[in-house]
Amino acid sequence: MKQIEVVLISGRTAEQGASLEVGKTSERYFNSVAVVELSAADADALGLGEGDPVEVSTPHGSVVVRSRRSEGLDPGLAFFPYGPWANQVFGAHTGGTGMPPFKGVKATLRPAKGEPPTLRELVEALRRESR
Amino acid sequence: MTVIRDVVCPFCGCLCDDLEVTVEGNKIVKTRNTCAISSAKYMHHEENRITAPSVDGREVPLDEAVEAAAEILASARRPLVYGLSSTECGAIAKAVELAELVGGVVDNTASVCHGPTILALQAVGESKCTLGEVKNRADLVIFWGCNPTEAHLRHLIRYSGMPKGLYTPEGRKGRYIVAVDVRETRMKRLADQFLKIEPNGDFELLSALRAAVREVKVQAETVAGVPREQIEALAERMKRVKMGVIFFGLGLTQSDGRHMNIDAAVGLVADLNHHTKFVLTPMRGHYNVAGANTVTAWQTGYPYAVDFSRGYPRYNPGEYTAVDLLARGEADAALIVASDPAAHFPADAARHLARIPVVTLDQKVNMTTMLSKVVIPVATAGVEAEGTAYRMDGVPIRLRKVVEPSDGVLPDAEVLQMIIDRVRALKEGA
Repeated sequence: MKQIEVVLISGRTAEQGASLEVGKTSERYFNSVAVVELSAADADALGLGEGDPVEVSTPHGSVVVRSRRSEGLDPGLAFFPYGPWANQVFGAHTGGTGMPPFKGVKATLRPAKGEPPTLRELVEALRRESR
Repeated sequence: MTVIRDVVCPFCGCLCDDLEVTVEGNKIVKTRNTCAISSAKYMHHEENRITAPSVDGREVPLDEAVEAAAEILASARRPLVYGLSSTECGAIAKAVELAELVGGVVDNTASVCHGPTILALQAVGESKCTLGEVKNRADLVIFWGCNPTEAHLRHLIRYSGMPKGLYTPEGRKGRYIVAVDVRETRMKRLADQFLKIEPNGDFELLSALRAAVREVKVQAETVAGVPREQIEALAERMKRVKMGVIFFGLGLTQSDGRHMNIDAAVGLVADLNHHTKFVLTPMRGHYNVAGANTVTAWQTGYPYAVDFSRGYPRYNPGEYTAVDLLARGEADAALIVASDPAAHFPADAARHLARIPVVTLDQKVNMTTMLSKVVIPVATAGVEAEGTAYRMDGVPIRLRKVVEPSDGVLPDAEVLQMIIDRVRALKEGA
């Protein structure tokens, strides 16, 4: 199965900011943050068309989101907008600083099937896994 | 139809205070001078709102929700009070008071934002100025690990890029702008120089720049992916300018090194002050995260991560910070004000919020409200309520109210006072 290793950076986008002000339950928010950006070369290597589902995984977890090509990213670098989808893959260890590693994290990308989980499904997953 | 001028935007740390909001019959119909985010905040503020107080998903009158919240917090052994950066200072003061009353831990969103910046500045100090001074004096502006074109949309327009100031009469033409980032954002086109740095390479590049400023020969051909010649040229430029400023973002605080990256940036700025005037300013995200730090420091002596379990405040980021407290499974109840940690903390920490009773005060439905036992809708500060907020440079600005909240919906501070009164009564009765 095709897969690539990347360094994952999470961060803000203007659309993430605007859509969370519309509401976290809005479709606009889902469309803006349930997505990972990668270079065209990496998308080609994975055989991903624009918007195709991709699985992002680290030792801390994995999540399926849509893929988006970005000109600003070098091959080997991927960008995940801040939000609950990104937080499925980041660890909670802070090294005594209070701050988890949200940037510069190694992750694996693979083509996936299906749609990203909805916000409600992420809530249900937190409930289920907390038991 | 009323046009309200000089409205202060309650979204990001820029706290732009020149907005115009047009109101028709208690409805916002138009905004001016807003960015895309601020316009969304005003124009969509009524959408996806929490419609009524609830306990266990059942709608209840406000005092019943307040009573349930007070019972949870009064009986908890290690309650966490968290959030606070997207509300006004009066509410923050009440939340700190409540944390002390219940012997809990109070933390704000700085812990997952510029917390490492605070750690570094407490250790090594800072050379700072207001955004007004940047506008009037700075001829070299460096954006390091931040992207104002996505996160602080009017920063360049109002303060740091385009405006003409007293000693910067040429505006953009008189300023040299440098962007340092791991990816090519819109800043690459806007800046005069773009330095692409390898992820987690900030400490090395800052240290190499510091060496170059001290005229120590950098031996390596490239440092963190940046050629030596570029480093030396930038160091020379930094020393030559009239006034330089480094604006920095979470590219420094959330990468390897955390507070040590800021330590290196402060060291660079300190060295540069032997040659010219140089300052640095964190690009604070939430509009009042600087206020959350300031108010918490007034009341406890510390800006975040404060534990009251012994009856007096103790400070220890990494231990009393919210992510750590939840990841260790230590908190047995939580009060969340104006924040959505279930969405914005790593799932390994957020999961604990599904195990404990959570009380949330917020405007809109989000992951945290969906997980909460008690949910209380509140008025939006800066839209439906007044208050004070601190801009990213530490300047306090009074927020304006432009419309009335729905019937029975109160500001955070008033709801928190009701909870405090009930907790006090429960503790006296016990």
